[in-house]
Amino acid sequence: MSTDAPAPTPGLLSRIRIKLLDVLILAVSIAALVALSVLVYGGAASETLVATADSGEWVYPLSVSRTVEIPGKLGVTVVAIDHGQARIIDSPCANKLCVSSPPIGKTGEWSACLPNGVFIRIEGAKKTDEIDAVVR
Amino acid sequence: MRLSARHLPPYADGGRRMAAFLAALAFFLSTIEYMLPRPVPFMRLGLANLPILLAVDLLPFGAYMLLALVKVVGMSVLTGSLFSYVALFSLTGTLASALVMRGLRFMAGPRALSYIGLCVAGAVASNMVQVALARIFVFGPSARLMAPAFMAFGLVSGLILGVFAEAFASRSVWLARVRDEQHD
Repeated sequence: MSTDAPAPTPGLLSRIRIKLLDVLILAVSIAALVALSVLVYGGAASETLVATADSGEWVYPLSVSRTVEIPGKLGVTVVAIDHGQARIIDSPCANKLCVSSPPIGKTGEWSACLPNGVFIRIEGAKKTDEIDAVVR
Repeated sequence: MRLSARHLPPYADGGRRMAAFLAALAFFLSTIEYMLPRPVPFMRLGLANLPILLAVDLLPFGAYMLLALVKVVGMSVLTGSLFSYVALFSLTGTLASALVMRGLRFMAGPRALSYIGLCVAGAVASNMVQVALARIFVFGPSARLMAPAFMAFGLVSGLILGVFAEAFASRSVWLARVRDEQHD
């Protein structure tokens, strides 16, 4: 980040004396900005599938295709992770709503088999090209 | 002539006339600012904060905080956002930056800290408080995604405005006269 900023005329800039605490405040601000950026945008780059049930919580990377079994109240809910998407393919519930619900793949999306007490959701970094919200 | 807030001579009227003048200046500057195109909706230069920045060294604390309050209300009236949550953001942001700048000046006089440092600290404080508010009231936890961008905005705009204020203060005849009058 540049430390010089535009001023009306060159003659004015030469009169400006940067003081000790100015430098300190700028340094602290820039350091905090870098730390904050790393904290917010760095790490946890890949999205994960988080499955929650009575018996515990499981976290799976969404990038690895596989089939996982989540033990619930009634029995085992089978979740398939395939090409960055997850869907419930079998569950010991009566109406199979969870099985017919669409696959989830984006951060914040979720699905569940309520009778079996199994809740799955996607966590991780948001894709930056997507709009979070629109304020009118 | 430099003057620290710590040894501010009292105004006869508690600084009310000066506060009113600076508030009028803030309204004028904010009108100017709304004429300027903005690259990003949230990105503002914060020209209207210039009078508050100058007031750090000119006004007693009560009149100083009153100026900040009047600036928020006046600008909200100008933009028609007085009774929306935008005004709440404006209010907390302005109060936070006003308090931070005043607090810094209380700790360090003009010899050690110029308008540049004051303004950067104030702008960053204002923007971070508004991000915190956004987290509570509008966007929830995902508000943290905006924090670095807002902080960068605050840093850059604070730096530009601080350099401008320092350049202005170094040659303003008006400001020099005001400071002299305070010594009489």
